[in-house]
Amino acid sequence: MNRGVRLKKTSKKLYPLQKFLNPTKIYIPLIAHKSENLTVLVKKDDSVIEGEMVAKSKGDFRIPLHTSISGKVLDFTEKYYLNNQKVRCVVVENENVDKLGEEEYKLNDYTREQVINKLKENGIVGLSGTGFPAYVKFDNDLKTLIVNAVESDPDTMADAALLNEKCEEILEVSDALVEIFGMNEGLIAVKKNDWADKKVINNYIGTYVKLKLVEVPDYYTAGWERELVRRVKHINYKNYPTEKGVIVCNVATIYAIYETLKYNQPLIERIVTFNGDKLKNHANVLVKIGTPVRDVIEFLGGTLPGEKMLIANGPLMGASIASDDLVISSDLTCVSVISTQEENIESVCIRCGECVLVCPAKLSPVLIKEATETAAQFRPHKCVSCGLCSYICPARIDLRTKVEKAKEDKA
Amino acid sequence: MKFKTLTGPYLRENQKASVIMNHLMLALIPIIIFTTYKNGYLPYREGYYDFIMIFYPLFFIAIAAITCVITETLFFWLRKENVWETLKKSHAIFPGLFVALVLPINTPIYILIIGCLVATIVGKLIFGGFGYNIFNPALLGVLFVMSIYGATIMDSGGYLNPYEADTISQATPLSTEVEGIGGYSSLVEPYGQLSDFFIGTIPGTVGETSALLIILAFFYLAINRMIKWRITTTYVATVFIMTYLIGSLNDFGAWYPLFHIFSGGLLFGAVFMATDPVTSPTTPVGQLLFGLFLGILTVILRFLSPYPEGVLTAILTMNLLVFILDKIGRRARFNFAHSAFGFIIAWILIVSVSLLVASGFDRDSKDDDFVINEIKEEDNQVIYNVSQRGFSGWIEAEVILENGAIVDFIIIAQTESYWQRIENADYITQLLEADDFTEVDAVSSATITCDSLQAILQNVQEDYHE
Repeated sequence: MNRGVRLKKTSKKLYPLQKFLNPTKIYIPLIAHKSENLTVLVKKDDSVIEGEMVAKSKGDFRIPLHTSISGKVLDFTEKYYLNNQKVRCVVVENENVDKLGEEEYKLNDYTREQVINKLKENGIVGLSGTGFPAYVKFDNDLKTLIVNAVESDPDTMADAALLNEKCEEILEVSDALVEIFGMNEGLIAVKKNDWADKKVINNYIGTYVKLKLVEVPDYYTAGWERELVRRVKHINYKNYPTEKGVIVCNVATIYAIYETLKYNQPLIERIVTFNGDKLKNHANVLVKIGTPVRDVIEFLGGTLPGEKMLIANGPLMGASIASDDLVISSDLTCVSVISTQEENIESVCIRCGECVLVCPAKLSPVLIKEATETAAQFRPHKCVSCGLCSYICPARIDLRTKVEKAKEDKA
Repeated sequence: MKFKTLTGPYLRENQKASVIMNHLMLALIPIIIFTTYKNGYLPYREGYYDFIMIFYPLFFIAIAAITCVITETLFFWLRKENVWETLKKSHAIFPGLFVALVLPINTPIYILIIGCLVATIVGKLIFGGFGYNIFNPALLGVLFVMSIYGATIMDSGGYLNPYEADTISQATPLSTEVEGIGGYSSLVEPYGQLSDFFIGTIPGTVGETSALLIILAFFYLAINRMIKWRITTTYVATVFIMTYLIGSLNDFGAWYPLFHIFSGGLLFGAVFMATDPVTSPTTPVGQLLFGLFLGILTVILRFLSPYPEGVLTAILTMNLLVFILDKIGRRARFNFAHSAFGFIIAWILIVSVSLLVASGFDRDSKDDDFVINEIKEEDNQVIYNVSQRGFSGWIEAEVILENGAIVDFIIIAQTESYWQRIENADYITQLLEADDFTEVDAVSSATITCDSLQAILQNVQEDYHE
């Protein structure tokens, strides 16, 4: 029932893919699935090699964290994380040790249990921002794999860049996963108007009988898991799509699974989009997890003069970070350096109802804002923080914050 | 490097609340121009007005708008707020504009000003200003003025501009006692054809007559996402369905529902008043129900109640229920079944009200217009106490006959809108003094009342001779 909102892209061209794989120091953020409750497995002055486990989360999921370069553990320090809070990090100095010879495995030799174990050992988590461990998702009775190549934020292109570069690999591993888990089909979901993506997928998809390209319209939140499953498979589910035998994986996650299965490589790299009007060169950069954002910005040629803001994870869902002391974690997709915006001035709500029409979670933000004490009845916990209500509001009311507050109050 | 932090989102749609109001203003301009043509230029062309009076409708609207702005300025100044900043956000001009557009053109200026004051102060400011009001401010002002000064407005000319007053005998198409009941000849023909209703050259309030311009404004606003189009469409559709049912059960034909939609304030109310963002539901299902019940209420008020202003009363009543509709609408977003109850009630009402109205539709016959209450005989005089249907209600009168000739004619009670004109012309005396009362000319602008008065005498004579 909600009306999607089509957001304008500032750049029609795909940013070039660049590699920044040799930082002098990395800072592995000790945070997994938004929880800082971890066991640290290294101490100061230890020598670590690329891919070695440095910490493991304590909760139900036991997600391991790995160092992304070889070198010496220098210290523990605090760096900025996506939510503009500081997080403890392991500092590793790069000693430029060559990686050990890579062993190659055949994808089709894996059994179901082996894949799940591999994903668990190598700490593969959702790379679209959720950080949900992949092995939990795969450990279900599955019928359909949906590879999500729909990027919601208009100027985030990390997935598109990856798809252009590694399309063969992505299709190969998707097909292998469909086979191994005995699924009926694998669907690659792209936006209708992403002609370049569609072209490159169509080049290779012919070889795979069970893979299909599906198109979704271009509007914001089309890439949201629930919305995608509803649109592609016409299925509604309660908590997770795996209840109905559907698994949704982001393109980046699928590629990480490929690297894990093929080369036994843990989650140590990802592609991050760097954009914004105050950045000299825009690019999609392949980086080691733990690289400070400052280094990447310098590598790209630095920023333009003037007052700036640093936004992590896109203009609608992201947060502005107080310092470029931010480190790249597995759930960072986009870094924008933009010119300073004015403090938002809210005017009176005219009750136009636009926020109700655009909310993909079927909430009524204006009513949540008005109801102060009984807000729990309005199911604010369904909010996905997409930010559309704040985006659309003609009175410029920050509805997202208000709904999120109601969500917290309820919890 | 340090950066400034702000809470997000950092991307916002480039549309402000004030822009919405500017578009609304833009949509009203053709309507204001049309009313200047109809109520200013047409009477001038026909020689009823001086040249300067062409601009009277503009003056009328401007007075209302200025009154509202001044009232709010004073209010903010007394409250020691930043007058200019508050005024910019308050959109003070709109209640005034709408009050002017919903009142008849002959409304005395002091009444117009009272209406604007009530609209701004009672309708808006005491609730906390723009965005906090429960009722549509303009309609509250108009309701106040119409219920207190209704007779004064009618006496000073009512809905008819001077040109219409001479050519059209009946005030507005919906001003018979129970609105909108009758055939084509009594409802449409006095004003021309149905196309005149569409273009707007019929009597009515200042802004409501031109269906064409209002529909154009609706499309302009709806396409630019400025109004809640669901309300307008369901409202008009509901009235159409109900009047179509009523019309077809009485063999009226296709003109009947169209007559109901084009006449009165229905379209203007549905496009501009019912969709007022502040006082209408925010949820889509709430808006649909709002429109449905507005339609039902309007039909009920038009057919089953003697009070005028069906649209106005319907909208103000539904304003009260917005929070309930929003509650239903909010739940219906998760599961549509939550709103089923509301829709079922709406449809039951639509069908049953239509059938009820259609079945009680036999007031047309002439016989019922004349009732003899009492006949007394004293000496050689016969005193008839009778009631006759007049222009806007029943006229109760006493007729005294002596040897078959009428010697006295006393009006006991009447509710006629243009009675003042009858008295000014001393019409009763003229009737009594004339040799043959059927040859007395009717008073201009009050022909229906005159006909009724003649009919009383005629009916009494007929009865006497029997």
